[in-house]
Amino acid sequence: METDSTPMDDSLPSPGEPRREDQHRTPSPSTLLPKTQPNGFYGKHRLAAAISNLQNQINYLQEELDQLEEIGEASIVCKELISSVESIPDPLLPLSKGPTNINWDRWFKGAQNSRKRWI
Amino acid sequence: MSVAELKARHVAATETVNSLRERLQQKRLLLLDTDVVAVAGYAKAHGKSSVSFGATDLVCCRTLQGHTGKVYSLDWTPEKNRIVSASQDGRLIVWNALTSQKTHAIKLPCAWVMTCAFSPTGQFVACGGLDSVCSIFNLNSPSDKDGNLPESKMLSGHKGYVSSCQYVPDEDTHLITSSGDHTCVLWDITTGLRTSVFGGEFQSGHTADVLSVSINGSNSRMFVSGSCDSTARLWDTRVASRAVRTFHGHEGDVNTVKFFPDGNRFGTGSDDGTCRLFDIRTGHQLQEYYQQHSDDEVRHVTSIAFSISGRLLFAGYSNGDCYVWDTLLAQCIAGKIWPLFLKGNGKCTHMPFWLF
Repeated sequence: METDSTPMDDSLPSPGEPRREDQHRTPSPSTLLPKTQPNGFYGKHRLAAAISNLQNQINYLQEELDQLEEIGEASIVCKELISSVESIPDPLLPLSKGPTNINWDRWFKGAQNSRKRWI
Repeated sequence: MSVAELKARHVAATETVNSLRERLQQKRLLLLDTDVVAVAGYAKAHGKSSVSFGATDLVCCRTLQGHTGKVYSLDWTPEKNRIVSASQDGRLIVWNALTSQKTHAIKLPCAWVMTCAFSPTGQFVACGGLDSVCSIFNLNSPSDKDGNLPESKMLSGHKGYVSSCQYVPDEDTHLITSSGDHTCVLWDITTGLRTSVFGGEFQSGHTADVLSVSINGSNSRMFVSGSCDSTARLWDTRVASRAVRTFHGHEGDVNTVKFFPDGNRFGTGSDDGTCRLFDIRTGHQLQEYYQQHSDDEVRHVTSIAFSISGRLLFAGYSNGDCYVWDTLLAQCIAGKIWPLFLKGNGKCTHMPFWLF
């Protein structure tokens, strides 16, 4: 009989949701401003680093905008996607191109006691 | 420069970033020239019809029983004949997928495992979890006096939990992990050292926990990561300082990412209940897969997998549902197909073991 038992003491934290604590949305930029220490020195360094990071992001975003001038429209990509998908034989599809792969049959025979049917 | 001046510069730079992001979004919308976003509209316009399954067309062919807790992760060998699974019961189990027999049951030093992976040769398995360490086990090693398989390597360095790991194809010597410390890491297993760290405090990367990685099967230098910062990022392993591209669109944690079979696209699954398909070269979001429901039930996408051609997208949800999507027509063609596969009954809840 199967049970959903945990191997450790109940008093230990569950691993269930390690990531969901405060990350319901990306924090707004103002919340990323580092705190300023009384003398302002530590805060200055962190601020300067944050600004440098933002400047990098600005450069990357500008690059991406420039690239978009050259990039084709989505329809070109869609055409390529459809062509790629339709060219590969797929054992899970009712109808698929290409020769039967004999390696697929070992799965379709099924395990003991089951009556399986495949298209 | 005074603190006040620096703060003003920070605010100005932030506004510039936000405005550029909006311009990018607008520009991408203009490039989505198909009627419906985006593959589905194109496919319909070109006469493609949806895949349809009869009642007995998708049948469970194997049930692997043995875990006594929730199964968090599983992985196939490249030959597609063995599986490793990781469970809340604190064990990795290695299965012969054809016969359903267990070949190894590895008791883990840390029971809170979240991910596992098979090495390309099938000789090693890796796992990681709340201990922040990625552990490697050699399946050919003898057990110790207590009958346990000892770790052959421990990859330490992450400052947060290890959420996902995958070996770099064709070599047992490198793997990539994702972590709650906001980074991904490429490891040299032989030395146990980090070859590259992607993201992190002083580099441009994810700004929240990274939950999933997927390496491009066609070009193993590229991988994608998904994060609680609602983005997916494409990385080149030779350039750790910045992502090649960041993919926006999701409105919640990106729990799972998976490369498309052709290596030019990848899929994502998120807490916002949608799966999406992105193109890596153009950055376009090609399609969204979402079904409206009349009830208030929360449906986070926890796991996805593509069939071998990419025509089918299997998506697992937090409420136990598993839907099959036609990726080209964006139609749900089978839903709730494995109602037995509910969390907590010890059966495999990760993406079906026969999708390869």
